Amino acid sequence: MAEIGHGGKKIVERILEPKEAAKKIKGLTEIPIRSQIANEVIDLAYGWFTPLQGFMGKADADAVCRSTQLADGTVWSIPIIFDMTESEISEYGIKEGGTVLLTYQDNPMAIFEIDEIWDYNMEDMCNCIYGTAEQKHPGVVRTCGYKEKFLGGKITLVNRPTINPPYGPYFIPPLEMRKKFKEKAWQAVVVHQTRNVPHTGHEWLMKGAWAQAYGGLPIKEPLCGVLVNAIIGAKRKGDYIDEAIILCQDELRKSGYFGDHNHLTSLTFWDMRYAGPKEAVFHACIRVNLGLTHHMYGRDHAGVGDYYDPYEAHELLQSIPREKLNITPVYSMNWLYCPHCGEITSEGLCSHKKEWQKFSGTLIRSIVQDGVKPPRLIFRPEVFDLVMECAEKYGFGSPFVTDEYLENRTPVFSIPPLGA
Amino acid sequence: MADKYPINLWVNEERYDKLQKAGLADMCEEMLAGLKVIRVYADDAQKDKILKVFPTAKFDASTTKSIELLPRDVKDKIFDKVIEKQNIDIMNDFLGDY
Repeated sequence: MAEIGHGGKKIVERILEPKEAAKKIKGLTEIPIRSQIANEVIDLAYGWFTPLQGFMGKADADAVCRSTQLADGTVWSIPIIFDMTESEISEYGIKEGGTVLLTYQDNPMAIFEIDEIWDYNMEDMCNCIYGTAEQKHPGVVRTCGYKEKFLGGKITLVNRPTINPPYGPYFIPPLEMRKKFKEKAWQAVVVHQTRNVPHTGHEWLMKGAWAQAYGGLPIKEPLCGVLVNAIIGAKRKGDYIDEAIILCQDELRKSGYFGDHNHLTSLTFWDMRYAGPKEAVFHACIRVNLGLTHHMYGRDHAGVGDYYDPYEAHELLQSIPREKLNITPVYSMNWLYCPHCGEITSEGLCSHKKEWQKFSGTLIRSIVQDGVKPPRLIFRPEVFDLVMECAEKYGFGSPFVTDEYLENRTPVFSIPPLGA
Repeated sequence: MADKYPINLWVNEERYDKLQKAGLADMCEEMLAGLKVIRVYADDAQKDKILKVFPTAKFDASTTKSIELLPRDVKDKIFDKVIEKQNIDIMNDFLGDY
């Protein structure tokens, strides 16, 4: 039976088998791509970006900018675009109607059927997507850093990525994810979007959202799960290393704070745009494709600095009719430590406001950086120990991204020689 | 009153030993379920200078209103200054070196 994704469209994996791929790529001009584009090629080919089948043409990108939808009216909020300079286009002899081979790490990755070559006012795009064109905004920096021309057209993967350890078990594309949910008999699944090692505030956000998503379902058998979906993409110095994020999220299940019956960890390849409300809608679209029924949103989802009101994303999501975006937002209040209660509690529950001890991911990172083990009520000891193990094993002595990590880390995925 | 922004010096065993030897162990406050901390404070201008001089540092504006993610060696220097002066009012003195 067909799996129906975002916009009511069937999820299709656009991937060729090796023999057919070898034939199809013969004689094609090879164009090397950077990691952001390689991430998006994977997302397009495996169906994370359904209904998109390739990089956007101008009509889709313009509709996304002007009205948060594709040209056909499907809700979409971030342009998925492939950039090149005019001189590269000329040098490679690229023409509308032509086909090229995208390569990554010097190996064939995907066929790109180019329908359209177009351009756009990038300041205009930034104002539409980010609400600003200030160069302080990291999304603006990325978008304004694009080359001056864009190529639109379908993508077909010719070579499946090899997912390197320790990420293998967490690469679960949409069709496989939906199978997993069926195996687990989950009728409701709420996603926790993360780029963090979890502290107990995150843990309770998930537990609270799980209870909200469980709603009126019967409790005789476990019918509701939490999917941790870590965003894996470009890193900034000082972030937790990717290995620590993904393994520590899973550690909450392995150490029994959750269980197989209600928790699963996974990843999505994506370079964050920090587009706040627009990114919140985008996250909802890709999570519909993964088969989620509910999506957690806290304060200032995917925001940066003070560009967005903390609840702007909630307002945008509320303005989109359910028939256009088939996922239920779960709005989460902050969790904190109350010494009076002696426990982690929600700011929506506890009245000992003067005694509250709030903590954030930044604060916890600061504690870890000082070489201090936080109390188990704040940070699970198994998670702390694993963070330190990851620092030694993957982080060149640090659990946080350093220049050395950026230069020498093992890539999350590799593109092998064709047929290898 | 002008705004004051804390820098949390989290107290591990090594730091606690130093505080005890200096007779300053009672400077510690308890935060986050009993975690020991010494808090030194920066004013607006000092906060701006800290964020400029140490680019990895971050002001957590949304949750804790504190200056976080200073490098460990910088935190150690601030801590040593507290021990030396036997006081938490050391920020001017500390920033004088930068």
